[in-house]
Amino acid sequence: MFGYIRAYKPYMRVFEYEIYKSVYCGVCKDMGRRLGNLTRFSLTYDSAFLALFEHSVRGTKVCVKNERCIAHPLKKTMCAGCGNDFSYASYVSALLVWHKLKDDMLDGGAVKKLISAAGMLIFRKAYKKANAQYPTLSREISEAMELQRAVEQEKCAGIDQASEPTAMIMRSVFTRIGRNKKERELLARFGYCLGRFVYITDALDDLRSDVKSGSYNPLVIFMKSLGIEWDGSGKLPREVQDFCTASVNMTLGQLADCYVALDPRRFRDILDNIIYLGLKNTFRLVREERFHKRNNSKKGKAEI
Amino acid sequence: MTNGKDPYVILGVQRSATEEEVKQAYKTLVKKYHPDQYQDNPLRDVASEKMAEVNEAYDEIINAIRNGEASSRFSASANFNSSYVRELIQTGNITEADSILSSVDPARRDAEWYFLKGSVCYKRGWFNEAYENFARASQINPGNAEYAAAFNQLGSQRNGQMNGMPSGYYQNRNADAFNCCCDLICLDSCCECMGGDLIPCC
Repeated sequence: MFGYIRAYKPYMRVFEYEIYKSVYCGVCKDMGRRLGNLTRFSLTYDSAFLALFEHSVRGTKVCVKNERCIAHPLKKTMCAGCGNDFSYASYVSALLVWHKLKDDMLDGGAVKKLISAAGMLIFRKAYKKANAQYPTLSREISEAMELQRAVEQEKCAGIDQASEPTAMIMRSVFTRIGRNKKERELLARFGYCLGRFVYITDALDDLRSDVKSGSYNPLVIFMKSLGIEWDGSGKLPREVQDFCTASVNMTLGQLADCYVALDPRRFRDILDNIIYLGLKNTFRLVREERFHKRNNSKKGKAEI
Repeated sequence: MTNGKDPYVILGVQRSATEEEVKQAYKTLVKKYHPDQYQDNPLRDVASEKMAEVNEAYDEIINAIRNGEASSRFSASANFNSSYVRELIQTGNITEADSILSSVDPARRDAEWYFLKGSVCYKRGWFNEAYENFARASQINPGNAEYAAAFNQLGSQRNGQMNGMPSGYYQNRNADAFNCCCDLICLDSCCECMGGDLIPCC
C-alpha cells in the first residue's frame, strides 16, 4: 500500500534479489494483462511481498524466464511471467488503490480531490473486476476505511485504536492466503501485525506535515499527552521516536512469532530478509527521515 | 503445603491445564526425580526433596481442579469473576471479556484486573495498551509468575527481540573500528613473518 514492506538489499544474495525482482516484475505484468496497463504504475513492493508470501505459504513454484519489460525495453530481465498465478496480488493491489483514492476523494484537499478523481477514472474498470472477484474482501476494506474516517474525525484515538483499520485490512488480505483453519488464524494475526506496522510507520512518516497542517495524527495526541511542544521544525522529538520504536518492535516481535509458527518453506531466505531486516530498515529510514528520496540531501549516497 | 511455592510453577503447567495435562506433567517429573535413579548418588537427597515437592504440588492442583476452582485459586480477584473472564479470553470471546472488565469500578481494579485487561488488548493486537497493563499488574503484584512472564515477553520484544531470526547470518561482526585495527595489526605481523611489511611504523 505504501511501499514500506521491502527487502534490505545489502544483505540479499544476488540470486535472491533476482527472484525477488522477477516476482515484482511478474506481478506488474499480471496487472497489465488482467487490469489494464495504466494500473501497473500503482505497483509497490508490498504487492511483490504479498505474491511471494502467498506462493511461499501455499508452496507453489514460480517459474522465471528472461523477458522484456516496458520499464527496460532494450534489456531482457529475469521475470516471473505468464506461467505464474499472481492474480491475488494484482486484485488486492487494485482494491487497495481504489479505496485509497476514494478516501482521498472524500476528505482530501482540492488538489488531492482532482488527482484522486483522475486516478479513479483509470482504476474504475480494474476495481470492478477485482470487486467481482473478491466481493467480501472489497466490502471489508471499505468498512475499515469508514472506521478510519470515523477515527480521524474523532481526533482522540491513541495509536492502538488508530492503527486498527489498517491492521484489519491487512488481516483480511492475508487471511485469504491460508488453506486451513490453523493457517488462517496465524495469517490473520500476521496480517494484523503487518498492518499495524505499516500504520505506525506511516504515522511517523507523516508526522511533520500533519503537525504543520494540523491534521489528525495519533502521534500528535501522544505528544499532547506528554506535554511536548513541537512545531514541525528541526528533528523529530526524541520521545516520539522512542515511542514509535517501542510500538514497532512489539508489533514486529508478535509478527515474527506468527511467522515462525507458520513456517513457510519456499523463498524462506527472501522472506527472512524482508521480515527480520527489511521492515526494521524501513522503519529506521523513516525515523531518520531518509525513507523518501526527497529527504536525501547527499547525492550518490546509496540507501535502499 | 509446598513452602509457599506456586504448585503450577513446580509442575510446569498452565493455570488453565486440564487434569490430563497435569497428570502428564506429573509423570514426566516423577521419572526425572525418582529416588531409585539416584542410588549411591550424592544428588539423592536433593532428588527425594524434589520428589516430595512434586507430590505435594500434584495433590494440591488435582484437588483444586476437582473442586472446580483451578484457575481462580492463585490469582483470584475479589471484585469480579476472574475465572469466567479467563475462560472467555481463552475461547476468544474478547468483546464479552472486555465489557465485563470495563464494568469493574476503577477504584477496585487490582493486579488480576490489569493482567486480564492486558491479555484482552494483547489478543486484539493493541500491544501498547497490553504492555502498560501487564506492567501495572506486575508492579502491583511482583511475586506472580504469570504476570511477570507476560510482562517480560512483551518487554523483550519491545526491545527489538524477534523470534526465529537466523542467528549469526545477518550479523556483521567485523565492521567496527576496533576489530579493523586488530585485523590490520595481525596482517602486519604475518607480513613481517614472511619478510615483508604492511605498516612500516610498527
